[in-house]
Amino acid sequence: MTKDPTTRAWLVLLLLSGASVLAAVLAGGSFSKSVIGVFVLLFAWMKARVILSRYLGLWQAPTWLSGFNWALGFYGLLLIGLYLIPAFTA
Amino acid sequence: MVSGSVTQARSGTLDELPGDLMMWVLIISELLVFGAGLAAFLGVRITDPAGFAEARSHLHPALAGINTIVLITSGFLAARALDLRLKKGRAAARLHLGAAMVLGTVFLVIKGYEYADVAGQGISTETHPLFTFYYLLTGFHAAHVVAGIAILALIAWKDAPRNIEVGTAFWHMVDLVWVLLFPVIYLLG
Repeated sequence: MTKDPTTRAWLVLLLLSGASVLAAVLAGGSFSKSVIGVFVLLFAWMKARVILSRYLGLWQAPTWLSGFNWALGFYGLLLIGLYLIPAFTA
Repeated sequence: MVSGSVTQARSGTLDELPGDLMMWVLIISELLVFGAGLAAFLGVRITDPAGFAEARSHLHPALAGINTIVLITSGFLAARALDLRLKKGRAAARLHLGAAMVLGTVFLVIKGYEYADVAGQGISTETHPLFTFYYLLTGFHAAHVVAGIAILALIAWKDAPRNIEVGTAFWHMVDLVWVLLFPVIYLLG
């Protein structure tokens, strides 16, 4: 893989996007839809981290990067919780 | 913002932020607005998960997936433009910004096709709550893409490194919002 961090970030984003779509396709099969949904949200969180760090340059500001990662992490947990509620109340 | 911030000799936690502080205020504001919208979307889905699943089947996740590739590649080109400008590659930087704008336009064309198809099925904002959020959130995002293309054109013209750093930050924000919006609306709804 290339050593250029920007190119590497782009390749990681492509990989994670492909993984999200693949996971969504699998959700139509025999895999648990809820589990797949959680993975799709995790991939989205990972993509957001890459964009913040490499595209938006927060790797230069570790304190801010950590803050954004935590806030996004909690937000991701909120989305996962909201997504899973119907599965548990059905 | 990729190879190193243009702003030099600053100190303090707030000043660690690369680029312009006001652009970060804008980025955080936009994330809060779209974040609240997506949380509300999943909140409303709790009341009618089966209806949301049926409504989602009328959307085009494949086209949205292609648009994800288009937008993150456009973001990559914008990021490379700053790298190149900092290394004195002025023409190459402009070329990359131009390519990023073209991909932004491709995104809008695909989005337009998608809207036309969904509307052609007789679906409006009133049809189901999913479509209310769909039109509202993706439409608001598309408006940001239009603004982002205009900003990319502006910084390709006035191509000081600082301008490119701030302008591409807006484009990356548009990218960031889309990677959160795409899975929630198109894959999980």
